[in-house]
Amino acid sequence: MTFAAQRGLVWLRRFENGLLALLVLILVGLASAQIVLRDFFQTGIAWADPLMRDLVLWTGMLGALAAVRDDRHIALDLADRFLAPHARRIARRVTLGFTSVLCAAMCWYSCKLVYLDFAGATATNGMRIVPAWVPEAILPVGFGLMALRFALRAASPPAHTPALLHDPATAPK
Amino acid sequence: MIWLVAGLLLILAALGTPLFAIIAAVALFGFHLAGEPGAAVAIEFYRLANMPALIAIPLFTLAGYLLAESQAPRRLVRLTNAMFGWLPGGLAIVSVCACTLFTAFTGATGVTLVALGAVLYPALRQAHYDERFSLGLLTCSGSLGLLLVPSMPLILYGVVAQQFHTTPPVSVDALFKAGLLPCLLMVGMLSLYSVWRTRNIPRPPRSSPREVWSAVKDAGWELPLPFVILAGIYTGRLAASEAAAATAMYVLIVTVLIRREIKFGELPRVIREAMLLVGAILIVLGFSLALTNWLIDGDVPERLFSALQSGLSNRFAFLLLLNVFLLVFGMLLEGFPAIIILVPLVLPVALHYGVDPVHLGIIFLANLQIGIFLPPIGMNIYIASARFDKPATTIMRASLPFYAILLLSVMIITYWPELSLALVR
Repeated sequence: MTFAAQRGLVWLRRFENGLLALLVLILVGLASAQIVLRDFFQTGIAWADPLMRDLVLWTGMLGALAAVRDDRHIALDLADRFLAPHARRIARRVTLGFTSVLCAAMCWYSCKLVYLDFAGATATNGMRIVPAWVPEAILPVGFGLMALRFALRAASPPAHTPALLHDPATAPK
Repeated sequence: MIWLVAGLLLILAALGTPLFAIIAAVALFGFHLAGEPGAAVAIEFYRLANMPALIAIPLFTLAGYLLAESQAPRRLVRLTNAMFGWLPGGLAIVSVCACTLFTAFTGATGVTLVALGAVLYPALRQAHYDERFSLGLLTCSGSLGLLLVPSMPLILYGVVAQQFHTTPPVSVDALFKAGLLPCLLMVGMLSLYSVWRTRNIPRPPRSSPREVWSAVKDAGWELPLPFVILAGIYTGRLAASEAAAATAMYVLIVTVLIRREIKFGELPRVIREAMLLVGAILIVLGFSLALTNWLIDGDVPERLFSALQSGLSNRFAFLLLLNVFLLVFGMLLEGFPAIIILVPLVLPVALHYGVDPVHLGIIFLANLQIGIFLPPIGMNIYIASARFDKPATTIMRASLPFYAILLLSVMIITYWPELSLALVR
């Protein structure tokens, strides 16, 4: 991989982590604001509830995308325990390749969903201030990127990530 | 054709295909057979954005991860040790309580094992608890808090069960109330066993009031959290998602701005770590929403019930089968996916047998909790093996008495519904 491509990848990662962090912080802020407004001022932001629900989906999709990078999707790990290293590599290619194809299919189907709502443009439900296809757009984008990333992961060795950034076993007292 | 696809998917699953892909494949195939377009699966998946109860999941998980990454585990152990360490079996009781509280917050039993195990294992060994007991105790304590507020698997059960509009309804708040006594039962039984088992170990002197006070002050910022959440939820003043929002905001301010144990620059990485867990679960949930719809349209739960009815005439037999089934499933998969996949199948059947849906949730989690560290492939055995640097077989042997105790408590929880329902109804 060239130097420029590597730098590009680093920035892409930072962007992905940053976006995820930003959305989560907005979610925390909005949810807390709603409590304060309700309990002390007997009011609330009308568009906050649908927005928060969409944020759950968005952060979930970005989290799932991040989980591909670290090989942390929930799966049976019988193969890791009972197969020889060579067979394990083949199993990895087959299973992640299959998942990539499936994500690509979901990308295609959710594109259709977004297009339907875009073309129809009627499905603005209740308090939404944006048309329905905008929050839905995370589906094709997320599944598309996951398809690409699963294909890349299928060809790379498994990731080993620590469970915690600050391990208390090694942290100073 | 159907059997061919099913067999292929089973092989793929066994080889380690991410679970969501298997469920997505079944859903797409099922919708295709029913003559529905693939976009319908996307529509079902998008229902994730229409479930208000789900908001609590990322918020509580974030709070849990922030606490796990801070020095809170150390302070929690110090405080409980100052208060209970001098009792017979004191440090063992400390371990059980600290792990329970911690898992309740993170919902991730493995994280508790890693974070608290690092602090507790050396402490237990130093206090002359033998290796075998210490290993077994910590491995089993890791999963204890799943029944306690604000455990994420409980929320997840509520979200999945709510789709069935049962009477009585399954609210997340009701589940939180129902989990309290069963959780105390497990903690109590483990504590009793620990006291008996360690009766010959010399007891450390009682901590001075000064040490207790200083430990309380040390944990001053975290201390109000469990009480506020418990009080807020148990009095009905806060809904689960509001308690989650308040907790996340509070923990964020304390760990990042006040204590500064998580640097601002590290925050995106910690958030990513928490959301990775949430994302891995929500994507399974999303596809299983589609799958559930297809199962219900195909009357699968009804057929399952009539098939079972011939062999299992009463509730007792049904619950026994359920126990075995959940233990195996909990061992194969971590608790979360087991809930997502099994609840839609089991809940309608259980209702026919007259099982209360809230009680069923508690049965589910109590069983899965054991499954998580059940040999030969329960996840936490291997996490403990890596954490404590001991062979997996040693961990399994060390855990034997703890399986027995928890199995006994699961039997009590399963066949004594009032224990779960007393606080709810």
